[in-house]
Amino acid sequence: MSFMRFCEWLSQTQFSHHLREAPYPFPVLIIIHIIAIALFGGMVVMGNLRVLGRALRSVPVSQVIGQFRPWKWTAFGIVLVSGTLLAASDPMEYGSNIMFWISNALLLVAGANALIFRFGAYRSVAEWDNVAEAPPAARRWAGVSLFLWIVLIFAGRAIAFF
Amino acid sequence: MFLAHILQAHPEALPLNPIARWEWVFPIVESIHICGFTLLVGSIVILDLRLLGICLRSQPISRIAKELSPWIWTGIALQLITGPYLFSGDPREYVQIAAFRNKMLFFALALIFHFTAIRVATRPSADSAPLGWRRPAALVSLGLWFCVLLAGLWIGNL
Repeated sequence: MSFMRFCEWLSQTQFSHHLREAPYPFPVLIIIHIIAIALFGGMVVMGNLRVLGRALRSVPVSQVIGQFRPWKWTAFGIVLVSGTLLAASDPMEYGSNIMFWISNALLLVAGANALIFRFGAYRSVAEWDNVAEAPPAARRWAGVSLFLWIVLIFAGRAIAFF
Repeated sequence: MFLAHILQAHPEALPLNPIARWEWVFPIVESIHICGFTLLVGSIVILDLRLLGICLRSQPISRIAKELSPWIWTGIALQLITGPYLFSGDPREYVQIAAFRNKMLFFALALIFHFTAIRVATRPSADSAPLGWRRPAALVSLGLWFCVLLAGLWIGNL
């Protein structure tokens, strides 16, 4: 209840009101948000496909994952900032939207999954860097990541439907 | 547009189309459309960053292009299946939206550019040559796909 009260307070601030009512902020933010998602998601998906041995098989895994990391994180930062502003534009609406919370939960799970890979299977990447198909533990991670991303796109799109 | 003509000639068929009949079909098909675009963005951006000489510089361009090609095709195929189906739900409305017409124009240009200039730029015979004109070509490719996405997003805002 106190969270919805916070949402109520936030939605009454001038800042939130401006984001919600002015003609430009919302469409511009949503365009920035989705373009950054496409960039970030596209890079993550290509990294997953490499680990699965389905794309860029002749390129070392560490190159596919390492060289695109700065791009990935830049895009992710933009996703977070624009997403926070979008949520602040109508806190009452999003705070009570089940798909909004499911999307955020999925993002957290995807993040946890990425950390598990980074500090787990990926530590031994030097041993399987040039192999077309990574060891089972890494492939499992990539499969889960790919699946989470597809579900995340569906859940994210559904925010506007609910 | 072939599909538009068929659908406009038979307005009585429109209510039978699942996407015009049930409101939940559209977001589901659109989600598949976004998955296809994400795949396309991922593979095209990697190829263009390689052509710009920013990423994967130790790998020959032709091999990167060859190994990305099935995913670029998968992305394009997903767009060509889901796109016209999204359109079929309300063809008369879409043809009137400027953003939609711009998106189709940019999509056609992006595809033509990809299968002409980018194809030439990724030929094995050019692998050892300096990047030269291929850098601006990669920027044009990135710009065209960006416009497709921008125009596509704008359709929903109008």
